[in-house]
Amino acid sequence: MSDELVVTTTIDATPQEVFPYLVRPEQLLRWLGTWAEVDPRPGGVFAVDMGQTQVRGSYVTVEPPYRVVFTWGIAGNEHLPAGSSTVEIVLRPDGDGTVVELTHRDLPADRVADHRQGWTNRLGDLAAISRAGRS
Amino acid sequence: MTVETADLVLRALADPTRRTMLRLVRSQELAAGQIATHFSMTQQAVSQHLQVLNRAGLISERREGTRRLYQLQPDALGPVRELLDDLWPDALDRLKRVVEQDKRSRS
Repeated sequence: MSDELVVTTTIDATPQEVFPYLVRPEQLLRWLGTWAEVDPRPGGVFAVDMGQTQVRGSYVTVEPPYRVVFTWGIAGNEHLPAGSSTVEIVLRPDGDGTVVELTHRDLPADRVADHRQGWTNRLGDLAAISRAGRS
Repeated sequence: MTVETADLVLRALADPTRRTMLRLVRSQELAAGQIATHFSMTQQAVSQHLQVLNRAGLISERREGTRRLYQLQPDALGPVRELLDDLWPDALDRLKRVVEQDKRSRS
């Protein structure tokens, strides 16, 4: 597991049309999570439940309609506590569409040199994140 | 690599007791009895946890006389890593589908 993850997609809509889906609960819930409470301004809460998994963080940067940064962690998870990693979503106009680039930074990496030690430390993180992704 | 395999691994990892057991056997092979000394539960309960880990392929089991010895099986993480890799790609696929669907229904 690397400590940074980049994913991109191209959407057939303008950044103005895509942006609300990153900051409005009812639109956010269409693609991420089962419950959401968000306050899209720096320091505002970013809380999304994905089934049993409670993702907790706060908005760091909100620049409509091009860029959103929020912190990301899992409530009650010692390896990836609330707010411990960072997600940046950049919307770049591309013709009639939008290129969406999502970067997830500061994911827990090996904490110790011993590879086997690091591997077992990350087990909890992987389980929590994977469960979050599937619900 | 099936979803069923990944599910077994995830369910096994979801329990903090079993994660502690994995740490115990990460660098050395231990007998069930030795593992049990770290927990305040019955030997039978410990065995059940070890069986869950074993079925998920997270640890290997070896018999030596009457003892059962367990050790971490690092390769078992493969399916979980795949799921993790799928989190954001799947989410962005949904985002794309939803935005484009909404846009079409508006026009």
